[in-house]
Amino acid sequence: MTLKIKFKHMKRILGILILIVTIFIGCDTAEENIGYGNLVLNFEHKVDNDPASYDLMIYKNSAGNNYEISEVQWIISDLILIGKDNTEWPVGGEDWIHYIDSDLASTLRWEISELIKAGEYTDIRFTFGIKGEKNAPGMFTDPPESNMIWPYHMGGEEGGYHYMKLNGFWLKEESDRTPFNFHMGVGQIYDNENNITGFVQNWFETTLPLPGFIVKNENISELKIVMNIENWFINPHIYDHEVYGGKIMNNQEAMGKISENGSDVFTIEFYDE
Amino acid sequence: MYFRIPGKRILLYLILIPLLGMFSCENGEDIEPLAPTPYVFEEIQHFPTQLNIPEQNLTTVEGVELGRYLFYDGRLSGRDHPDSLMSCGTCHIQSQGFEVSIDHPKFTNGHPFGLPTPEYPEGKKTPHMTMPLYNLVYNSSGYLWNGFIHESNTRKGIEGYEFMGHNELNYKYLESLVWMGIVAEHEMAGSIEKTVDMIASIDMYRPMFKAAFGTEEINIDRISKAITQFVRTLVANNFKFYKYVRREADLSPSEMRGYELFFSEEADCFHCHSGSLLMTTNDYYNNAKDTTFEDSRDRFAVTNNLMHTGAYRSPSLINCEINGPYMHDGRFKTLEEVIDFYSEGLVYSDYVDPLMKNVRENGVQLSDEEKADLKAFLLTLTDNELLTNPAYGPPMDLGEYLAQ
Repeated sequence: MTLKIKFKHMKRILGILILIVTIFIGCDTAEENIGYGNLVLNFEHKVDNDPASYDLMIYKNSAGNNYEISEVQWIISDLILIGKDNTEWPVGGEDWIHYIDSDLASTLRWEISELIKAGEYTDIRFTFGIKGEKNAPGMFTDPPESNMIWPYHMGGEEGGYHYMKLNGFWLKEESDRTPFNFHMGVGQIYDNENNITGFVQNWFETTLPLPGFIVKNENISELKIVMNIENWFINPHIYDHEVYGGKIMNNQEAMGKISENGSDVFTIEFYDE
Repeated sequence: MYFRIPGKRILLYLILIPLLGMFSCENGEDIEPLAPTPYVFEEIQHFPTQLNIPEQNLTTVEGVELGRYLFYDGRLSGRDHPDSLMSCGTCHIQSQGFEVSIDHPKFTNGHPFGLPTPEYPEGKKTPHMTMPLYNLVYNSSGYLWNGFIHESNTRKGIEGYEFMGHNELNYKYLESLVWMGIVAEHEMAGSIEKTVDMIASIDMYRPMFKAAFGTEEINIDRISKAITQFVRTLVANNFKFYKYVRREADLSPSEMRGYELFFSEEADCFHCHSGSLLMTTNDYYNNAKDTTFEDSRDRFAVTNNLMHTGAYRSPSLINCEINGPYMHDGRFKTLEEVIDFYSEGLVYSDYVDPLMKNVRENGVQLSDEEKADLKAFLLTLTDNELLTNPAYGPPMDLGEYLAQ
């Protein structure tokens, strides 16, 4: 009796062992197939297909304004790689927010420490700026990000920070070099007495194709996100500095148009090995 | 009877044996010195979390206390004659927000000058006004009005400051400002050797240096480190607007209107004086004061970027109520003058910062009521605790040597 029970147990134990070994072998094979790689994101600002030149009055926008760029500071968030099977891989985690500053070389190259699942990706999606529920006032206390603060009374609980500060000068009436602050963030709705009655989220998502982009196992892949500055002023709205002047943080009409113009501002570059 | 109790006897031995050991040593140097106590910086909500503390000068309680004495000891000048006393505290006066103040009895219009020298018998005026000394531990963007003192700086000289044979010195850290202040003609106009000799001749300092640094050795490196440790502890965050943000205080209607103006495109102060609640970005701007530029110590002197001509650091507005005169050259004596300037006094130059977007209209054009509201808000930035906190104040036992 005792022996029989033991034999029964042995059969079960053997069965479980075989199952465990099978699972482990299966897992090993799956790991080898998946693998992980690293991703480096580079950021560049261009005008008319060339790298942007700063502090030079050499550009003309679609409204005919001659303009120069002093600096570009902006925020990108929620970056997601989309796989062939439509699976989504959040780069840098769910709360990923990155600040880019044309004057700070260290912000123009972001070596993402979190691993990326190896494989082929067909698209990349990201948010220009920060979605309202993440854009909490006071979340950045250290510069340079903290210097992107958006006034609380102009943005509320979901408008803590600028999406972008594009600063420069334009030739007002084709003669006076005049500053412009092309700043983007949460817009406001004003009543007839100039009181704020609501807010407008001006962030937008951009999806760009990545034909043939592959993250290889234990390799470093690089992508470059390009902001084509002249496109902020063209499509679908011709943006005229003479109309909107140098300051637009409290001008939702201007910011709304800029937000809509953002659809073709970004392009992506990568090099297939 | 007492010693028959074994426990107490053991206790006695525990006390006596180390004491005997200490006396048996030839001098105190043979004993492992007690390590100084790390100074803990309190984490402050809405303030930066990154502290600018070089790893070669970590802050300790003993270092801070030594630094406080040196900061206020007029013999830091290397001299002990009553007419030749000067220290950091001479121009960075606690009750005046660690600046000189407009109504200083000696420094007319708040413009300090150095100790007399044969070349400058009345003392040479400082090229710029003093800057606030608080919240410096949160600044990684460089020190002085032009940011010349920065970790990345490799240059070995600037007009008025010479190494004087001390090649170990540099212009990189807050610590550098101590030796610079000692040798500069427009400050203590002294020498490092005289200062070190003077401090070393004062009996009370040797044990303080030992407590702070492990040995009694006194040199310029340690003097600089100790003073800087003290300065890094000067933190100003106890002002009404800070409490308002923490929902611990209310603003009056006028203060609230001023707050909304400050943080708006209308008055637009916040782009340069905000970020965290330091009330400055610590960045550099040409704020449209001038059309010609002759100062050899502007931001351009540091970066060699033409667009930085006439640019200076945006100072913190905390305590702006009391720490005039204003701007790098002290041209404005009152807050009203400053507000008038930004309202209708801007002048265009090719180097103006683009954030000065109303420069073509000469300013933001505020009404009298708006100006009053803006000033009311600025007064909510006064931190009275900073001005009176004894931990930041002069050690009164310095007596006649207390810097005046």
